[in-house]
Amino acid sequence: MASSQHVLLSPAELAYLHASLSLTPPIRPDGRSPTQFRPLVAETGILPGTNGSARICFADGTEAIVGVKAEVERTRTRHDFPSLDESAEDDDDLDDNQNDVVKGDNDWVEMTVEIPGYRDDDAGTVFLSAMLSEALLADGEFTKRLWINQRFHWKLYLDILLISPPLSYPLPLLSLTTHLALLAARLPRLKSEGDEDPLFDDDWAAAPYLYPRPSEKGSKATAPAPAARPPVTLLVMAVGNNIIFDPSKEELAVADVALAVSVGESSSSTTSTTSSKPTAMDIDTEETKGHNLRLLSVRTIDPPSRLTPPGIPNASNSAYGANAGAKDTEKKKQQQEQARTAESEAVEGVWKAPRGGAKTLVMATMVQKVLEKGGVADEVLDALDGVDLN
Amino acid sequence: MPITILPPKAFRDQPPRHSLNHDSDDVMSDATSDSEDSDSQPGGVSLDGGATIHPRKRHRSGAGAAASSTFTKRPKTNAAINSIPRSAIVTPGERITTDPQWMRGHGTYLSSASLGEQAITSSLAGIVTRTNKLLSVRPLRARYTPEVGDLVVGRIVEVQAKRWRVDVGSTQLAALPLSAINLPGGILRKRTETDELQIRTFFAEGDLVVAEVQQLFQDGGAVLHTRSLKYGKLRNGVFMAVSGTGGGGGVVRSRRQVWTLESANNGGPIDVILGVNGYVWISKHVEPVVPEEAKGQTGITNLEEVVSATMYSSQNDRIEPETMREIARIRGVVTALVENGLRVDEDMVTKGYNEAVELALVSADGPEDVYLGGERGEQLAAALTAV
Repeated sequence: MASSQHVLLSPAELAYLHASLSLTPPIRPDGRSPTQFRPLVAETGILPGTNGSARICFADGTEAIVGVKAEVERTRTRHDFPSLDESAEDDDDLDDNQNDVVKGDNDWVEMTVEIPGYRDDDAGTVFLSAMLSEALLADGEFTKRLWINQRFHWKLYLDILLISPPLSYPLPLLSLTTHLALLAARLPRLKSEGDEDPLFDDDWAAAPYLYPRPSEKGSKATAPAPAARPPVTLLVMAVGNNIIFDPSKEELAVADVALAVSVGESSSSTTSTTSSKPTAMDIDTEETKGHNLRLLSVRTIDPPSRLTPPGIPNASNSAYGANAGAKDTEKKKQQQEQARTAESEAVEGVWKAPRGGAKTLVMATMVQKVLEKGGVADEVLDALDGVDLN
Repeated sequence: MPITILPPKAFRDQPPRHSLNHDSDDVMSDATSDSEDSDSQPGGVSLDGGATIHPRKRHRSGAGAAASSTFTKRPKTNAAINSIPRSAIVTPGERITTDPQWMRGHGTYLSSASLGEQAITSSLAGIVTRTNKLLSVRPLRARYTPEVGDLVVGRIVEVQAKRWRVDVGSTQLAALPLSAINLPGGILRKRTETDELQIRTFFAEGDLVVAEVQQLFQDGGAVLHTRSLKYGKLRNGVFMAVSGTGGGGGVVRSRRQVWTLESANNGGPIDVILGVNGYVWISKHVEPVVPEEAKGQTGITNLEEVVSATMYSSQNDRIEPETMREIARIRGVVTALVENGLRVDEDMVTKGYNEAVELALVSADGPEDVYLGGERGEQLAAALTAV
């Protein structure tokens, strides 16, 4: 599996970071609480030439831009499947249903990730884009939104650009920006009906959002789709039994496990709640209800900690104080024995790269922490709701 | 609240010169008054930019003032001032002026405009600064330019046969020759082939060192040395890189770059090393431990031996959680200073730290709350600038 980028840290730094992150509660180098994200600045609608765009900037200077562009494409007729027309002819009972069957295809979305300093076929970049598109396409609901009629569909191009050099593993940043860009994305309103060649409304103000907003009554009336949202991928890591969200580069360098957890809002349960929504339109009730979170995918990320060089304990350090002057063979022999034990055992204050796999219990807790009601993903989605979409 | 999302700072609604740098108005108005002043009373030195200007950039200021006094009085038109771009920030290749009354300073070059006219053009992205008749461009961000005697924190990135290459945030890697370190064992001795063979036992890739710039090459590359008990490998703490010089923030050269801070909340003493290159090291203060056998026999050589014993160790001492918390707090203070464009030196860090301790007392999570990002950083900076 592709790993995140290698970081050069000294064994003493790694030992310090690991020690401070293993405390209960952990002390993070920037003083955040374990579930706290870095403060970020977000805006949407920055690129006038796109259907939807967003920019997110972290306080440390990492910045990403995402643009969503859509174009109409003719749907390829599939020969390996019996075409819809044939099946409609076969049984007349299903005719009505078959006509509004909305189908999607994963080819309708094309995602490119660009990270400065990395080739676009670099393993890390490909892995990032695969992870982001996997989360988006996981439930098959997203591509259905791109369906126009049986002959045409929207082809969506998602261009994800990291503007700054990758100061930390950019996955959460890119995911949040993509989320906002998709929320802000609008497609022109369709004027034609049925399977005609599509004709669209020129009025951009009338264009519905790709993800209809529940608060907007107008769009809700025209498009009764459930108030689903694009997925969010969160980066979670564990040091010992401590679970830490949105790790910085240094923190990731001492991680025992790192997971990318993609979370979406379950549409099946939202359809069940849509009936209650019109009656309780105010936001308060909705907040208490929370989001119907659904796990879309989990990927382990190879933390760079496994590639870090181990520290040398003083006992076996030939440049360390008393040892440096030691000349007599007796003392040297003793040292070598000490060194052997030091290699096998953990010495306090000396960095040792984590070995072995992740504990299943820790991994399960990490996923649970993301998904639980009022948990991190819930609050992240709430905070993203507050971003002004223009 | 695990996440705070802020709206972008509005700068598109306002004319750019107000938003990009609030000093810009002052710079422009100062410049006009300056140029008028210098016509009537030549030689008056006035530095625009004030406290935030980098000391090194001041070298030419005297010369500029002297040169401007040689200018003869010429009829001044408003067009001369108007030919200077009105926005404070210039980009590389942007023409600053074609008026021959201005002299080019740092960050600019002369390019031929139409009809044999010479235009002063910016070679950097930065802010136009004027000293009487001298036009210079201060970069928004610059890499560190080493100078002899600078205290720097660096990271070993390469080990060669007889030297290390050290990243000091400069345009080039600095060199640390094997002959410029204190060899272990206390006594000053000649380096041997054995030392060359076990060069990695002193410093290996990734290790952090605090060193001094010993000499400079013609091309600006630095040679470091660690031949003092103050210098050597770093441990027991955290590293942070403050962005390079320029733009007002960052580490400035000052009287003391290294000091010990007595921390609050039972944190004990904490060492802070502010490398001139913008690399900062914050660590627990450790008194050298005198081994039992060496006790009683005091002397300069003996002391040296004791101190140098831990010079190449990469094993951390035991650090209390309280100390770690205070170290994180100091790191937060430095980050907040940089993010808000304030200078980083002993005075500001100490003041900021005391302020941060006060802030934590009133915070909801009590004195154990060390978070200083986002709004709290701004609050801290506001409290510091108000004093």
